[in-house]
Amino acid sequence: MQTAFLTAISELAAADQNVLFMTADNGTDYDILFSRNYPEQYFNLGIAENNLVGMAAGCASAGKIPFVMSGSAFLAFRSCEQIRDDVCLQNRNVKLVGFGAGFSIARLGPTHHATEDIGVLCAMPNLTVLSPATPKEVAQAVRAAYETDGPVYIRMEMNGEPEFEREVPFAIGEPAEIADGHDAVVYTTGSIWAEAMAAREILAEKGCSLRIVNVKTLKPMDETKLAAAGNRISRVFTLEEHNVGCGLGMLVRNAYSKVGACASITNIGLDDCFAGGYGTQAEVRAQNGLDANSVAQAIAEKLGLNT
Amino acid sequence: MQTSDRDAAIRQIRKDVFLSAWTAGAGHLASAYSVVEVLYALYFMDVLRYRPQEPGWPERDRFVLSKGHASLAYYSVLSLAGYFGQDLLHTFAQPHSRLGGEPNMLELPGVEATTGSLGHGLSYAAGTALSQELDGNGARTFVLLGDGECQEGSTWEAAMAAAKLGLNNLTAILDCNCLQKLGTVKDVAGIDNWPARWQAFGWDVTEADGHDPDAVKDALNATPGEAPRILIAHTVKGKGVSIMENKVDWHYRLPNPKQLKKFMEELGISEEELTACKRHS
Repeated sequence: MQTAFLTAISELAAADQNVLFMTADNGTDYDILFSRNYPEQYFNLGIAENNLVGMAAGCASAGKIPFVMSGSAFLAFRSCEQIRDDVCLQNRNVKLVGFGAGFSIARLGPTHHATEDIGVLCAMPNLTVLSPATPKEVAQAVRAAYETDGPVYIRMEMNGEPEFEREVPFAIGEPAEIADGHDAVVYTTGSIWAEAMAAREILAEKGCSLRIVNVKTLKPMDETKLAAAGNRISRVFTLEEHNVGCGLGMLVRNAYSKVGACASITNIGLDDCFAGGYGTQAEVRAQNGLDANSVAQAIAEKLGLNT
Repeated sequence: MQTSDRDAAIRQIRKDVFLSAWTAGAGHLASAYSVVEVLYALYFMDVLRYRPQEPGWPERDRFVLSKGHASLAYYSVLSLAGYFGQDLLHTFAQPHSRLGGEPNMLELPGVEATTGSLGHGLSYAAGTALSQELDGNGARTFVLLGDGECQEGSTWEAAMAAAKLGLNNLTAILDCNCLQKLGTVKDVAGIDNWPARWQAFGWDVTEADGHDPDAVKDALNATPGEAPRILIAHTVKGKGVSIMENKVDWHYRLPNPKQLKKFMEELGISEEELTACKRHS
């Protein structure tokens, strides 16, 4: 996803000199490539996220379009007040790009996980919150953020995430069905859709057909569209690398409640806890019950398929 | 402007500050009085380039009041500069007013940044200064910091970044009145050598009497060097009312009836003016 981000922001920077890329001394070789190609639009402001976000707000007040990048955890938590007061309250045209969403910085443990950022940032008025599921969606999210006049947060992963096997449309506010089914629906956000798809294969062998819906816009939320994407299936699951009480699980529950849709909703994710374990992202998922086998088992149990 | 006119304008600002707070029944009077001459020099002595009739003029200089609780002085100066009418001052911090206890750029022309939580202004100002430099339009940014405020770590993040970027179109003004809410800055935070601290962060440092408009103007308009500059403005918290000057107790207080007489006497406020401001609210 990071490569897709850098490619997308490079295209924007080439076309619009007001696009700035500002970091807190983080990134990859691709970021260095950007700094070489667009030296007057690249600013490494040091390991200081509070200043990074505050300066970006000041730049935006003078007509610039800063894309600010740091770890999702450091942006959402460290610079939370700057995001609130300097960016969202003043409705500044700042694009916040957090890498390492969920446990995608898996080996470093919970200080580097972003498993509450959806809750924190969806609480901010004026902020659009995007959670792309694939590298292609990252590029689409960057373009959509640029075209949005106001603050946007893009939560991004960083481990070579797969693309969808089929064409899935991208538009802010639109959930997308990525696999059809009729026994239960699973809402996902981020790259964990791949675990849901694998769980779908496992459950198909038990005669269970899962519908998978990817949610890429977490705010603003169109509750009617989100609930409608469930296709009136009464057994609803949510799956996320995040605290379910303030993440996708909460958002789906709110949506169903607001539109008065009747469903049994089960949230799969972190239940008011931090993630445990280290390793690859896949290994940390497995240690926290979020790999395909664990997800399939949880769904099967809930649907009574194991008896 | 002649010195007598200037003195009259400064007296008027202090009167407006008090009457606004008196109407609201609250306000950071002492903090406002600390910065009156600094704001006067900025807005009325050929320092800031601005257009009250065109607040969004792209090539304007920017001023960020990082210590937003000095808003009473800021509002009085903006009103005197022509951004809005004086009557608005007497709505300060009341229902449906555009003049909050802390300034809000969404509600009031002339306010560049919504401030209030301390430690935000220097980063924000560094961002506007950087944009001005990229645009190459010669515009400058000024930001007013409190000495208590400098206990916020984000201020020093910004200080590092501005020096590293060589933002010599950025000028910070430190309202160095040596007091904060519950004590002296030295007692609370152990700080007593601002020049050394800012120099260590790579800033050009200058000092002046913060209640001498000419000295402030000269410092702010001096030819810039290679680095961002900070003017350490030596000020007196509560300046202009003898019983309030340099007293910690007055951080967020209005006078009692006995003290009110002293305030009115020293600020030159008549009974009629006191009554009239209530009528406006």
